[in-house]
Amino acid sequence: MSLLIDSVSKRFGDVQALQDVSLEIKPGEVFGFLGANGAGKTTAMRIVLDIIRPDSGTVTWDGKLNTELPRETWGYLPEERGLYAKMNVLEQLVFFAKLHGVRGRAAEHETREWLDRFRIPEYADRRAEQLSKGNQQKIQFIAAILHDPQVLLMDEPFTGLDPVNVALLKEAFLEMKDRGKTLIFSTHQMETVEELCESIAILDRGIVVVGGSVREVRRSTGRQMVRLAVDGEPELAWLGTLDGVRVTRRGQDYTEAEVAPGHDPGSVLRAALSRGCEVRHFEMADPSLEQIFIEHVGQIDTSERTLAPKAAHP
Amino acid sequence: MKGWRTLFPNAWYIAVREFRSRARSRSFVLGTVLLALIAFGATQLPVLVDFASGSSQTRVEVVAQASGLPSDAQTVLDQALNGTPAAGSSEHKSYILTWLPADELAAAQGDLEAGKFDALLIIGRDAASHDLSFTLRTDMASDGRAVQAIGSAVDSLAIEDRLARAGTSTAAVLAPVAWAVLPANSSGAGAANSLNEQVSSSLLSTGLIVLIFMAIITYGMWVAMSVAEEKGSRVMELMLNATTPLQMLAGKVIGNGAAGLTQYGIVLAAIVGGLLAQGPIHEAVVGSSTDTQFGGLDPTVLVAFVVLFVLGFLLYSLLYAALGSLVSRQEDVQSATSPLMVLIMAGYFMSVIGLQAIDEPWVKIASYVPFFSPYLMLARVSAGHVELWEFGLSVLLLAISIVVALFLAARIYSAGVLLYGQRLSLREVLKAARVSR
Repeated sequence: MSLLIDSVSKRFGDVQALQDVSLEIKPGEVFGFLGANGAGKTTAMRIVLDIIRPDSGTVTWDGKLNTELPRETWGYLPEERGLYAKMNVLEQLVFFAKLHGVRGRAAEHETREWLDRFRIPEYADRRAEQLSKGNQQKIQFIAAILHDPQVLLMDEPFTGLDPVNVALLKEAFLEMKDRGKTLIFSTHQMETVEELCESIAILDRGIVVVGGSVREVRRSTGRQMVRLAVDGEPELAWLGTLDGVRVTRRGQDYTEAEVAPGHDPGSVLRAALSRGCEVRHFEMADPSLEQIFIEHVGQIDTSERTLAPKAAHP
Repeated sequence: MKGWRTLFPNAWYIAVREFRSRARSRSFVLGTVLLALIAFGATQLPVLVDFASGSSQTRVEVVAQASGLPSDAQTVLDQALNGTPAAGSSEHKSYILTWLPADELAAAQGDLEAGKFDALLIIGRDAASHDLSFTLRTDMASDGRAVQAIGSAVDSLAIEDRLARAGTSTAAVLAPVAWAVLPANSSGAGAANSLNEQVSSSLLSTGLIVLIFMAIITYGMWVAMSVAEEKGSRVMELMLNATTPLQMLAGKVIGNGAAGLTQYGIVLAAIVGGLLAQGPIHEAVVGSSTDTQFGGLDPTVLVAFVVLFVLGFLLYSLLYAALGSLVSRQEDVQSATSPLMVLIMAGYFMSVIGLQAIDEPWVKIASYVPFFSPYLMLARVSAGHVELWEFGLSVLLLAISIVVALFLAARIYSAGVLLYGQRLSLREVLKAARVSR
């Protein structure tokens, strides 16, 4: 019982949006799609949701094809946020819940509970257009989960929220996980991914460049990172001369270096001690997701390169 | 397309939402109230006309000094001025005649000068020619309508007098001659159409065709606007996961159609209510009652109208929805739907021309063509020249075309709603439609 994306390819005109993408997302897992704008995250989600059909490949959940599954299997928070501007909040949430097969009375009860949880019960009777962007986003999140979906797909759920609301949303997120839901979201905020995700896939121009558990991905390069701080010697000029060691960051607080595969990171500490340095701080770690991302994709490109559906007409 | 199996209840929820948001909008409420008021007001026009003419009643006192007036002199003068009254109606009169004996001339003159009457008509007899002679005393314009009317009325009376003296009467002189009009077939069975019937049936069918035409243009546009609005505000993205394109299409067409029918129903109710209220209002305002004219609505024509109205609206609004899904902003809806407008106008004008040539082959053919049949079949039905199977065939073809349009529209729609761009050609959309759900 897991979500299997099997060799999915999708082309929009001249643009290969997804190429032979295969992923396995375990039930109850929090999964992150990483990638620059236009890498194919939205397209992948829409294919899972059966909003668009792939050119080839299949998607199955619990062994059943997504084209055969009822729509209420999925909860979806789209990247493009929108509500019915003139409709009041309670009415439209109940409307969306009913579309997913929730009975009217239960839908209203659930809606009020979630509005309370997000500390906006007084918005129930307001029209959507009277709400701030952040609050509209919370309403949309509620719309995505009211029908208690098994799999929740969220496209950039944290963008445009202030820190308080990000915290609220993360809380709701973790509660959905506690309820046994499978959570899939896309983002390019690496801290959020490291904080929440158990597995990830990094997409670049429609290709999965690396995927798996966060641990595996961080170890995938075989490199290790060391952080070293020595009293009275901030430069540590000798560090770069060691075999298989490359300095990646020099700071007043510590110096960071990368140790090539097959070399022992411990040798850095031994070298420092043998030089008689007063070592204040020494740390060995896997590379951060951000480093791996940059390594695979290049600089995080925040400029618009959306190819998802727009690219259908070159 | 799995949407078939699960069209309801989602299509129903969407229809209800569409109906509510449409019916609550200020433009709908204002538009409906305004249209109903105009419709009601229009039905009261006859009352207004009668009221306006009723206020210019002319009171005439008549003093007959001549001896030997025809026995029906009073009736002749009255009918010459006020026309022949319809049987059983107590229609109000434009001229009120008050006959006084010859010896009250002085009193009559006093009343005239006191302004109690508008005119004093004195009837005498010329001693030489024995003809009647008339004198009118009045301050009304001598070439005005009232004076002229009285002038020609006294002519009638003088002629009646001459005929009476000659031993006959106008009624005898003008008694009808034997004269019959029969249908062309040799057996002479059935009754010939009266001009009145022909005119009123053509007026009626023009009216019904205009009703269909207006409904399709107005309410079809509502459907297109509502699709474009959903796309523009990006609610579409949420809807896409919650429903299927087929459910959305059906819901939108039903919801907006129901809102449109509601508006139409209210306006029609205002018209019927206005016609029913015509009598009482007439009585209250003018002081006499009048018969309500319903224009001879044939139940057959009404049934055909409802069937063709609903089917025609369905066909066109499905296409409106499909075209509405191609634009990203509401402002572009007008231009995107213009091809449809051409089609609708073509059907309308064909039916207007066709009404004058209802038995031409091209009218018959066009009355089976789905896009034109709502108009032209209705024109033929109201002209009464249609066999039942002809009507049935036309409706069947229309129904088939609706099913085809539903699938085509769902295809275009499911691709169109995902494509955001400045201008989308139909070819691009169809290409995209092949691979979308």
